[in-house]
Amino acid sequence: MTRNPIRGLATLLVAGSMVLLSACSGSTAGSTPSASALPSLDPSKQTTITFMEAMSSGAQQAALKKMTADFEAQHPNVTVQLQEQPNYGALQTKITAQVAANSAPTIAQVYENWADELSSSNVIVPLDEYVASSKDYKDFYSGIQADMKLRDGKNWMWPFNKSVVVQYYNESLVPKAPATWGEFAQTAKSVSKNGVVALSIDPGSETSPAGGTALFEILAESFGTPVFAKDGTPQFDSDAAKKALNYLVDLKKSNALALGTNYPGQTALGNQTGAFDVSSVASYPFNQKAVGGKFVMGVAPLPAGTAKTANQLAGTNIAMFSSADDQQKAAAWAYMQFLTSPAEMAYWASQTGYLPVVKTAMDEQAMKDYLAKNPWVGDVVKQLDTATPLPPVSYVNKASGALSTAISSAVNGTASVDDALAQAQAAGKKAASES
Amino acid sequence: MAQLLDPVATRSRSMRSGRPVKRALTSRWAYLFVLPALLVFLVFSIGPTIFAFALSLFNWNYLNAAMSKFVGLKNYVDLVKGTRDPSFWSTMWTSAQFVIPMVVGGTVISLLLALLLSGNSPVLYGVRTAVFLAHVTPFVGVSIVWVWLFNPRYGLVNAATALFGMAPRDWLGDPKTAMFAIVVFSLWHEVGFTLIIFLGGLTTLDKTLSEAAQIDRANKLQEIWYVILPQLRPYTIFVIVISTVFSLQAFTQFFVMTGGGPGFSTATLGFAVYQQAFIYRKTGYAAALAVVLFALTAVLSLLQLRASRNTGR
Repeated sequence: MTRNPIRGLATLLVAGSMVLLSACSGSTAGSTPSASALPSLDPSKQTTITFMEAMSSGAQQAALKKMTADFEAQHPNVTVQLQEQPNYGALQTKITAQVAANSAPTIAQVYENWADELSSSNVIVPLDEYVASSKDYKDFYSGIQADMKLRDGKNWMWPFNKSVVVQYYNESLVPKAPATWGEFAQTAKSVSKNGVVALSIDPGSETSPAGGTALFEILAESFGTPVFAKDGTPQFDSDAAKKALNYLVDLKKSNALALGTNYPGQTALGNQTGAFDVSSVASYPFNQKAVGGKFVMGVAPLPAGTAKTANQLAGTNIAMFSSADDQQKAAAWAYMQFLTSPAEMAYWASQTGYLPVVKTAMDEQAMKDYLAKNPWVGDVVKQLDTATPLPPVSYVNKASGALSTAISSAVNGTASVDDALAQAQAAGKKAASES
Repeated sequence: MAQLLDPVATRSRSMRSGRPVKRALTSRWAYLFVLPALLVFLVFSIGPTIFAFALSLFNWNYLNAAMSKFVGLKNYVDLVKGTRDPSFWSTMWTSAQFVIPMVVGGTVISLLLALLLSGNSPVLYGVRTAVFLAHVTPFVGVSIVWVWLFNPRYGLVNAATALFGMAPRDWLGDPKTAMFAIVVFSLWHEVGFTLIIFLGGLTTLDKTLSEAAQIDRANKLQEIWYVILPQLRPYTIFVIVISTVFSLQAFTQFFVMTGGGPGFSTATLGFAVYQQAFIYRKTGYAAALAVVLFALTAVLSLLQLRASRNTGR
């Protein structure tokens, strides 16, 4: 009998593939903690936990390393391995890959929509019981407390690096920060001459919406209707959304707005071809570096709209993975609480520009010193009570991506505002229905 | 791949009978020698390919495989019906907008450059090296450089077009120009490779045919059209097929320069596989797209082999 090695090989591979599929099908994703008893940390046992994070550069990296070293000094039996990723995109990819390979970290930074996917797949644990045992939770800002929950009303995340959006401006061009979006437009148009375009934004792309889309979302809410309803339903073609997009189109027609990529607002502000940058408080050290002392950079809370002063809560939270054993969960919980303790939050905020999630951090000396140098932080931090995150639904990125396309089309003049938003609404609803 | 890279070798091997190959496979030593390479190929190429075929039949939960559901051919039905965003057919049209100018433009430009640069002088050596250098630059790095060249406010491209009185454009941010900008960049990067193939082909020409044409008073254009181009046919076919395959599989420039946008105006088939799998998390559907891409690539490779054999007769 003649054997065919190629056919044999192919059979082997198909069989192997099927075995792999069935092996995957048989895998379990761990279990949620008992409601009655949280795991407790045994001080006699050595425990190693892993924290997958994207605080991999500059002040953020140094501050997190110091805080982690301080925690380990307080808990000699716990080792925290920081698994740094270069950016949030890589972080999400790495989390996904490791979870799929049954090698999840103990805890990781996650956005709200990531947590929605992870909880739906039963790979992270709900934190209600943990939250109930926290002494600092009651002092969290109310916007932060709301941000810890998913649609089922359970707490699935613990806060970490949170921020809101502010306006940075060149004080030699703009002596006083505008208080309303109407004033902002007026000022932007008046300073846009001699090579200066007041504001540059990056709407991002269909797959990766960026800060320009966040600005549009804030504008829509400021004008009366957020782009997502509370249950996550897209409402991109509301009158407020049309007003927001017309606002940007009008700025563009007046040569007061430019679209770009790679933090264009920061670049333009730094090289004095822009007057404003509208971005996260976490951009503060980066903007300072871009300005490099060429002029005084003012920072102020976002202007008010015709309906309210809206802002978007940004930054990530921490989720705990169900594959960790009880001892690791207990150690991770101790570490998570340590990070948000008033003293550590004050240090973190003063070093990185992120906002402290716990109110009592404002009483710490480090925070007082930081406030003395940066008085604008006092006004901005209050917005943690009112700022709203994007809804914690898995399709939010795809739906926001449709908005980024609408912004580009309308501002570049390739589609009317009404048509662009109607298309975005259809795409957003489709994304929601496919999720 | 070795066959793809050497059409002449392909032709000569294919003209021999398959018997030596068959004889080699009966030797145990042959298996032993190829085993290490075969294992690497199995683990990193063939295995994942077969796994992708299997995935395409599932609504796959990438985080928890236990929650995956077998859906049969549903992903392929969705693909044909075009129900996903972007639809398969719009993705194919976008791919065509990239592949056609890359294949036609790349082949014509590299052929013309080869005819111009085929002499033996230090200047021509220098120019050939300069054109080829673009091809060996790291793709991600130069993609980022070109993003800045196309920058609507500070880019060199707008500075150059302004000299001719043209208004500045957002080349990568406008759906009307984004694909054109990527094609320009990709041609700049790829022409060096196809140029080398044509230059290699020109060295194999039978000079007596050109001399005969010149004796018959053929001008240069007639010599190129009737004498040189027919002799370059196997190389031209190879360049067309390899350019088509590379263009279909192109990913990096779309990932770095536009993210598939604005909208889906630069989301080609190769990029859509990534987009569906790793952005929209539709792993099963992405696997179905990958299977289609695989089939297209396989058909083109077979056509190239067939064409190489025909030209060898």
